[in-house]
Amino acid sequence: MVAIDPTMLMNIFLIGISGTLICIAVHFIPVGGAPAAMAQATGIGTGTVELAAGSGLVGLITSSYMYAYEPQASMALVMAAGAMGSAIMLASTMLAGGLIYAYGVAVPFASAQVKKDPITGQRQDTYVSKGTQGQGIPTICFVSGVVGAAFGGAGGGLIYFVLMGIYSPLISASAAAVAGVFTMGVFYVNSVIPSYGVGGTIEGIHDPKFRRVVPKDTITSFVVSLICGLVAVLIAGGMV
Amino acid sequence: MVLDLTMSMAILALMGALATIAGCLEDLESDVGSQSNPNSQVQLAPQMNFLHRIYNKAISGEPISNGLSAVTGGIVTTVLLNAKFFPLLAIVVGAFIAAIIYGIFATTSYAGRVASQTRFKQPLYMDIMRYTTPSIIAHNFVVCFCLVAIAYIQYAVLGYPFTIPFLALIWGISVGAIGSSVGDVHYGGEREFQNREFGCGLNTALSGRIVRRAESGLRNSIDNVWFCAKFGGPATGIGLGLTVFFSSWPTTIWGYTWTAIGVGVFIVAIMAVMNRLVEIQVKNAYGPYKEDKTEKEAGA
Repeated sequence: MVAIDPTMLMNIFLIGISGTLICIAVHFIPVGGAPAAMAQATGIGTGTVELAAGSGLVGLITSSYMYAYEPQASMALVMAAGAMGSAIMLASTMLAGGLIYAYGVAVPFASAQVKKDPITGQRQDTYVSKGTQGQGIPTICFVSGVVGAAFGGAGGGLIYFVLMGIYSPLISASAAAVAGVFTMGVFYVNSVIPSYGVGGTIEGIHDPKFRRVVPKDTITSFVVSLICGLVAVLIAGGMV
Repeated sequence: MVLDLTMSMAILALMGALATIAGCLEDLESDVGSQSNPNSQVQLAPQMNFLHRIYNKAISGEPISNGLSAVTGGIVTTVLLNAKFFPLLAIVVGAFIAAIIYGIFATTSYAGRVASQTRFKQPLYMDIMRYTTPSIIAHNFVVCFCLVAIAYIQYAVLGYPFTIPFLALIWGISVGAIGSSVGDVHYGGEREFQNREFGCGLNTALSGRIVRRAESGLRNSIDNVWFCAKFGGPATGIGLGLTVFFSSWPTTIWGYTWTAIGVGVFIVAIMAVMNRLVEIQVKNAYGPYKEDKTEKEAGA
């Protein structure tokens, strides 16, 4: 019988946690899908998977660079670098998107899910135009999106950190490539899982859908990410 | 590779400029070929008896199709670099091959999508295919060139741990995500529905009823890209340019420390404040809506 190494179990557990972080992150990001692209719904006008993966992968670039050039970097610093990259990507996207909504399409930002913005306290319902589910990116959606992107980037940074710890002693030259591709895979897996729960659109933390779907999606994601972690550890067996 | 601060900033500025061009051209390419979310309306229009002369490709979601294109360019470039080609030539040839492959996807996608709409009597205009496809290829070539150039700089000059194709793939996915989130709103929310009431969102009842007349004659995709090049494209470029610049700027100046992370958080906070200022301005400009004002007065 093969002895179970506690370090190996810890690595699988950490990958499970990081996948769950990515899954939770997707729920924070205000995604409006196709309706938002036509100013028919609040949020960013694209899909959950595309946006979560797009921002998370920028975080992967920043965290991998941090890991490569600061050998003494702690796990927290690598995660923070990933969080920073992702948050900056999503903030830039939302700011530029907000400019289009404001000056290209000419719609006031309004959430259809709350009467008042929890951060600014400004009325939202009176700004929702006829036949739409809100428009643009109000402050609560912006802040929620940035927090979500930071979670996603931190999750990506954590997977990369763990995988580099596993693969570097075995295949030092190609470890970053394998760890990077595997991280991207975990990103996509955990971006797709919430898509079923949110059903294409979610405004962020203030959306009632958030509380309804997060617990189920979190458990699903944790289980699936544990399987991903197990596979990540198993493939290391072929690298010796 | 460790560079001095001046050189690092110069490289960062070059990457930011390349990213801005890539972002702008990516959005314009998705407008001239009609891709991503706004294309749902182009697809829906014939079902509402709104036959049109707009290109209808939508190979896949923008991040995936741009990721495919960029990684193709990155792989060809890597092969040519290994064959001792000059880097600039390798990137140009890589981007060109990727753009041609992208053009093949665009053509088959357009023909396939229109063929599937036979029952709605939507014609396949060969003149549209002939003069729009080269424009798609040209836009994609510039996007690919810029993204592979960024990947090359990150790999060869800055010493990132990932390879050129993988970095190109990541930037391809990111540029697609930003283009889909930013510039497409200008195409879908404004250009396709210029007949809606100004200063409010698009009523769901208008879905599929896209504008088919141009400033002169019948509207086609070249008219759309002309319009979106005025705002949607440049705004997308700014989005990607800010991403590339500000994701590396803190660590370039403050090193790989918690201070750099703090600066990153500060940048995000400034962006949130800027978004709030824009929100205040548009709310004052366009709302609240008339009927709500009337209701308020009635209530008072």
